[in-house]
Amino acid sequence: MDRRIYEHPLRTFRRGAPLTVEFDGERYRAFAGEPAAVALFASGVDVLSRSIKYHRPRALFCLSGHCGACLVRIDGMPNERACRTPCSDGQVLKGQNAFPASEFDLLSAVDWLYPRGLDHHTMMTGSRTVNAVMQKVVRQLSGLGHLPTPAGGPGALPEVTGRDVDVVIIGAGPAGLAAARAAAATGARTLCLDEQDRAGGSLLADPRHGEADADARALRATDAGAELVSHATALAWCPEDDGGLLAVATPGGLWRVTARRYVYATGGYETNALFENNDRPGVFAARAVGRLVVRWGVRPGARVAVVGAGAYPDALAVELAACGIPLLRVGRDGSERVVAAHGSPVLTALDIDSPRGRRREPCDAVAVWELPSPASEAPRQHGASVTLVEQKGGFAVDIDDDGRTTAPSVFACGDVTGYLGPDAAARAGERAGNAAAHEALGRP
Amino acid sequence: MAFDTAPRPVLEPRDAPLPARADLVIIGGGVIGLAVAYNLARRGHSDIVVLEKGYLASGASGRNGGGVRQQWATEINIRLMRESVELCRSFAHDLGINVWFRQGGYLFLARTPGETARLTKNLALQNRCGVPTRMLSPAEAQVIVPELDVTGIHAACFNPSDGILFPWPFLWGYAQGAIKYGARVFTFATVTGLEPDDGGRKGYSVVTSRGTIHARRVLNAAGAWSPELARLIGVELPNRPVRHEICSSEPLKPFLGPMVSLLATGLYVSQSMRGEIVGGVTLPREASTLDMGSSLKFLATYSRQLCRLMPALADLKILRQWAGPYDVTSDGNPILGEPPGRPNFYLACGFVGHGFMMAPVIGKLYAEWLAGGDRHEIFDRCRLDRFDAPGGVEPLAREDFIIG
Amino acid sequence: MSKVIVCRCEDVTLADVEHAVALGYCDLEEVKRYTGFGTGPCQGKECLRVIALALARATGVPPESIAPFTTRPPLVPTPLRLFARDPSADDSDDDRDGDGQPDAEELA
Repeated sequence: MDRRIYEHPLRTFRRGAPLTVEFDGERYRAFAGEPAAVALFASGVDVLSRSIKYHRPRALFCLSGHCGACLVRIDGMPNERACRTPCSDGQVLKGQNAFPASEFDLLSAVDWLYPRGLDHHTMMTGSRTVNAVMQKVVRQLSGLGHLPTPAGGPGALPEVTGRDVDVVIIGAGPAGLAAARAAAATGARTLCLDEQDRAGGSLLADPRHGEADADARALRATDAGAELVSHATALAWCPEDDGGLLAVATPGGLWRVTARRYVYATGGYETNALFENNDRPGVFAARAVGRLVVRWGVRPGARVAVVGAGAYPDALAVELAACGIPLLRVGRDGSERVVAAHGSPVLTALDIDSPRGRRREPCDAVAVWELPSPASEAPRQHGASVTLVEQKGGFAVDIDDDGRTTAPSVFACGDVTGYLGPDAAARAGERAGNAAAHEALGRP
Repeated sequence: MAFDTAPRPVLEPRDAPLPARADLVIIGGGVIGLAVAYNLARRGHSDIVVLEKGYLASGASGRNGGGVRQQWATEINIRLMRESVELCRSFAHDLGINVWFRQGGYLFLARTPGETARLTKNLALQNRCGVPTRMLSPAEAQVIVPELDVTGIHAACFNPSDGILFPWPFLWGYAQGAIKYGARVFTFATVTGLEPDDGGRKGYSVVTSRGTIHARRVLNAAGAWSPELARLIGVELPNRPVRHEICSSEPLKPFLGPMVSLLATGLYVSQSMRGEIVGGVTLPREASTLDMGSSLKFLATYSRQLCRLMPALADLKILRQWAGPYDVTSDGNPILGEPPGRPNFYLACGFVGHGFMMAPVIGKLYAEWLAGGDRHEIFDRCRLDRFDAPGGVEPLAREDFIIG
Repeated sequence: MSKVIVCRCEDVTLADVEHAVALGYCDLEEVKRYTGFGTGPCQGKECLRVIALALARATGVPPESIAPFTTRPPLVPTPLRLFARDPSADDSDDDRDGDGQPDAEELA
């Protein structure tokens, strides 16, 4: 099977050199640059692993490195995010927590035996003997993945680098890139860190923007003097004895970043809707489907349901139609609701409630649009207050008009302050970057 | 084996008023307080109210590594912990909740002849008390934990009957057990005042954020917060909170049997029933604080030492780090019983980071005493006045086998 | 009736959350500990919002009164090796109290 799109009316997909990867003993075709999760899905692999308790099938969901659904063993390293790991020729991937294989796992019997769930707190406490046996079995079944066995053994420990700037911006999506451009334009030494393989954030998942727009905005930021660094993941705000620092993971080792002002433009996480079997492979976050079709040129399925109301799912539906993919639009006006997914191990149909009653629609992929949940962990750690607001998508950082949070020296902008969408996020980023830089330079 | 749908004991709702009075008010819903509540209620003394200022497991009881060991330097601790281990073994059955107690042993590693001598001396005492600890060569230690790099390791000692458990369900088990027998547990109830009635002879009025309750007797089981609480009635306690950090990894399939600990640095590491590698290390010169923030310094120290001791774990991924307060006394022993001049005010604090594993036996012994039964010798030996009256009381052997 | 998954890392279902609330574990920190949600590889990135709102509905409290559970570093799973050479690491293994004498000898 090959789900890649080779002919598209509007887009061309530049793929790298063809190569071969191995998953659970089978070889698959891939292209340099594709994340392993994308390459495997494009080649017809639907199930990557099994879940920790009920051995339910697991596959990519968010395609942005956040949800933990696509963890596999890659070249001897357990629990690697297949959506964040670029594929390489001869790469060996293995599903985890499955016997004998991810697609068909005998241990998923526990999911069937306990359809309403298994209370692990109270199970088998009635008899000492049974309890002792149960604990031995649970111990053997526990964990995901085996000890790391990197080729060539554990290598040298990486160095640690100190970086000091006026303004550091965490996240290079629409808000972060605008903040970086605005901050650098004032003359402030500006560093913009992004965890993905390239700048753009949600723009890369958005049919209305895409790679060309992301690149143009990144160029405007660097032209203004900002330093953009990809593959740089903020790990923690560390309030150490000497005033604190931002710990950042980079491929070359740990960075200790200090700045006069910190601007969090961390965006939002993909989240799922609540319906029965909402974790079936084939149920994707809408923006994961956007990444598949806009960035990677991969069809999510043969018939795709786009679920949810808003400008983003509308734009996604237009894009899917342009790709010639048969489409089902659900819940555009809020009158319909998905109540259950069917199929095992992968999705085959959805049950949908509407004022006319319940109906079953066949489909093999669903793009679920829920408001992205503000990625507010880092600013929270840094002392900024947040408020849970359903209409903002979750725990949104509290800010003033210029993006100042309740913590000194800490700014936030974009979807981390409540979902805005790319255009409003860019405007907020510009204001926050400008204000942060002025404060950093001690200007009024 | 679906969810048990029968009515189950529940915590008091957030808006439930406190009762006007109770025979015993236990301040601190940690494992010590809840263990005493459960054991007393089970004996029929159920007029008990437990007050917890946060949620259950918010303090040290919910933040520790779950170690349960019988390798100690003093006979009384060895004997008490032998009984605690037995209580841990039967906890799931007795309380109806799994605590995932697994006896994979404790492996202590010594790097110098001095450390080895210390282990050997303790081992002789442990063997006399019936604990099957044995000395191992570095090569023998490596048989038990193949991932160890034993370069620089002088000797090891191992007791296969030590183990680890999962702390949180221990608290829920004791709380639900106590409630089943008639005790009441109030969370998010902060004590702001204590007013002795006739010097405490007629009890105490306990003022809380959820109202006031009159207690005939009060038990201070507030752990690291116990000095603040005792100060409300003018009692100065010598124990001090010391922050200890800890972290947990990605869950891996089982490979590590025992808890491994390096004596020189206080590094310890074990594998939970969920497969996570849970461990910590002593940071020297930690300030006395109730702050429970995390530090890069801890993660860096732990990583450097673990990468050296078990190089195969260099690529192990850390999922999260957190901290909890050790409740430290100068001689490593707890503070129990009534302080002088404050009748009906009982102390159960100063457990120096091992209160969790002591709780099953301390809860049982304290309940026996408070129910009018036997008074175990530990309540005389661990009195508060041992700190200010040397010679007045029999000196207490220092417990120096403190890890983490 | 099949499972509605709210935390896919730990296989926590909507029924698990409702069960915890029924037992009296109504604080987000308590629900996290009782159900295990947010303790897996994603550390709550996908599930925190969903469960916080489910908790608001189940307990009838307004969402804005619900605080998130404490964020634990690191924000993504990170190998030990990355931290091992950080200059803040305390490396004085043999003399942790800094008095020039190896601690092990003193304790012995």
